[in-house]
Amino acid sequence: MANFNIDAKKNMVYDAIVIGSGISGGWAAKELCEKGLKTLVLERGRIVEHLVDYPTMNLDPWDMELRGGLTPDEKDKHYKNIRSGWVGKNTEHFWADDAANPYTEKKPFLWLRGHQMGGKSLLWGKQTYRWSDLDFEANAKDGNGVDWPIRYKDIEPWYTYVEKFAGISGEALNLPQLPDSHFLPPMELNCVEKHVKGRIEKEFLGRNMTIGRVAHLTQPHNGRGQCQYRNRCNRGCPFGAYFSSNAVTLPPANATGNLTIRPYSIVQSLIYDEAKKKVTGVRIIDSETNEAIEYFSKIVFVNASALSTTQILMNSKSNRFENGLGNDSGELGHNLMDHTYRVGAMGKVDGFDDKYYKGRRPNGIYIPRYVNIDEKSKSDKFVRGFGFQGGGFRGGNPANIESFGADYKDSILKPGPWEFFITGFAECLPYHDNQISLNNDVLDKWGQPTLTIDAEFKVNEKALNKQIQEDAIEMLQKVGLKDIIGFDNEHPPGYGVHEMGTARMGRDPKTSVLNGFNQVHTAKNVFVTDGACMTSSSCVNPSLTYMAITARAANHAVSELKKLNI
Amino acid sequence: MDRRKVLQQTGLLAGASILMPSMVSLFQSCETVNRSDWKPLFFNVEESHTISTLLDMILPRTETLGALDVKADIFIDKVFAETYDKTRQENIRAEITAFNANCKKKLGTIFIGLSEADRNKVLQEAEATSEKFNPGVWGTSVGKQKTIGFYRSIKSMAIWAYFTSEEIGEKVLNYDPNPGSYEPCKPLSEVDNRSSL
Repeated sequence: MANFNIDAKKNMVYDAIVIGSGISGGWAAKELCEKGLKTLVLERGRIVEHLVDYPTMNLDPWDMELRGGLTPDEKDKHYKNIRSGWVGKNTEHFWADDAANPYTEKKPFLWLRGHQMGGKSLLWGKQTYRWSDLDFEANAKDGNGVDWPIRYKDIEPWYTYVEKFAGISGEALNLPQLPDSHFLPPMELNCVEKHVKGRIEKEFLGRNMTIGRVAHLTQPHNGRGQCQYRNRCNRGCPFGAYFSSNAVTLPPANATGNLTIRPYSIVQSLIYDEAKKKVTGVRIIDSETNEAIEYFSKIVFVNASALSTTQILMNSKSNRFENGLGNDSGELGHNLMDHTYRVGAMGKVDGFDDKYYKGRRPNGIYIPRYVNIDEKSKSDKFVRGFGFQGGGFRGGNPANIESFGADYKDSILKPGPWEFFITGFAECLPYHDNQISLNNDVLDKWGQPTLTIDAEFKVNEKALNKQIQEDAIEMLQKVGLKDIIGFDNEHPPGYGVHEMGTARMGRDPKTSVLNGFNQVHTAKNVFVTDGACMTSSSCVNPSLTYMAITARAANHAVSELKKLNI
Repeated sequence: MDRRKVLQQTGLLAGASILMPSMVSLFQSCETVNRSDWKPLFFNVEESHTISTLLDMILPRTETLGALDVKADIFIDKVFAETYDKTRQENIRAEITAFNANCKKKLGTIFIGLSEADRNKVLQEAEATSEKFNPGVWGTSVGKQKTIGFYRSIKSMAIWAYFTSEEIGEKVLNYDPNPGSYEPCKPLSEVDNRSSL
């Protein structure tokens, strides 16, 4: 792959600036570059070039000095991230430095960040599901939050567009609450999962179990290789088999010759021109030299990840916008959402001792939402719903077996018992008082104000979680599993890593920040298409919707530029 | 028997290497540290022999290599030294001391001074009475995890160190770094041992 053009010295003026290079920023860069716009991508961290900068992608445990363990210094650097349980030596370099980038938890909140080219697209879960009108109409129907300014029909062509390029594998089910994507062949269920699926669908009318719909290639696609079932995705994939900006969107953006990507660029604020009534550029701080620099463009896409995007808008103060750019409504920073996480059940499965599997499938099962999808499935305990992820595998913890010595040692060389689990993801309502604010008392390494996060799950989410656990236990019981453990780890928001809201789309500028094309109502050449724009949270994973909404907004931006409307 | 006498009898105070039955003539060519040259980074003499003895009892050499053959104890010493902060280091040291004090109180001497039968008794009791790990999902355990005591923690670390050693991970377990495909329902007989990765 050609090297990226990182020389932003020659030129201070571009057609477009994209802030951030994660899932949505990468899409914005690709679409804008391909439509002929000279585009500057401002990346807070370093360049991570596909393949070249994946130092751990082929390491076995014994190749790492501490076999993946972190030193106390490394743990200090990631003292927040580490709570997720995902940070080890194999991925440490892709997680943000928490010590240099502090934030304050007024209530517990885990904010996971990836400060490098590609952002969290290197680390995400790859679960990719379309939302439906059940989601886009939810606020209007039950009166929580404000109405989405778009419906499924508005975004459907853009789902199709991004899916065909990204490559999404999965099984078509023709469910109205979880529309099918344009699928590559699905990954396969193992024999225990097939067994569980058969029982659940027989015992519970209206419930389905399917393989996860994922941004993993199951056949070669657009010059990328298919999944090799190593399950080492988070280190960077040598085959480019999963969707990341690094492997999928930024290379074609670069190939147009229109892309400049500037690393080590912390965007401090947007520059608002009072006379022109629009944003004319951005102010950055070079994180290595501390130099303050201004870049100018006709349009700006803010894709810094939900909370960072809103942080930039809040920090963009002017005479016109004393409380942050586009914040006439007072909603900027509010309505923060995440999915609930780690509530479900697990059990042991008898009868498949002579079966195993080859390969480590980076995917599990999915049980689509089945409550509150129609009159018949309506709950009187909560609004909205939940879906389950999970899977079957040979696990067991050999340390738990009450034995030791020669026979014990030889026995644990064999695969352990089959286990199966499901864990729910529930929708979170948009609450005005779940919010972020600028904190001028705690500054980051570059002297910039940081964020205070003040959010919690409330009565409705707790009722959903209660139902998730009850349903999970009931399903596993009916399936005939043994030693069933129900669980609710009571994780605060953030653990789902689906931060949404804080600069929501809406029909009315009085109650929202963005319009139906993700333009700031009062500065229409600024587009926000990451998690910040979300008006509600659905219960399904949001990344595919960020991709579609970004491609749609980029198309609109270029069309409006041509018409000289912005 | 007091601690000093035990250490004298087992040769520890003289600095000689203790020879447990399966520790004799260990195969040591795989790693840079020879057992005879091993200077623990974290353990003192009593601690290192306590841990080595425990590991040798939990995962002894059979037809396949044992924990000490793959230097699981040397690795665990390194893990305590280089990945534990001060507080956790003090805790693990206190736990080893308490383990030995308990042996002495109940059976008259610290762990490594006990007869093989008594050492077996100690482990059997620990197995029967100690808390177990909750299952895990995606890197974190589910439900409310009760505190895991010294014995099962060390046992768990021993298994980790054993399975992630090159000798076991690559040559004994089913090592398949690049499967290429997913075969969801394979007869176990075609696979044999558990996957190492």
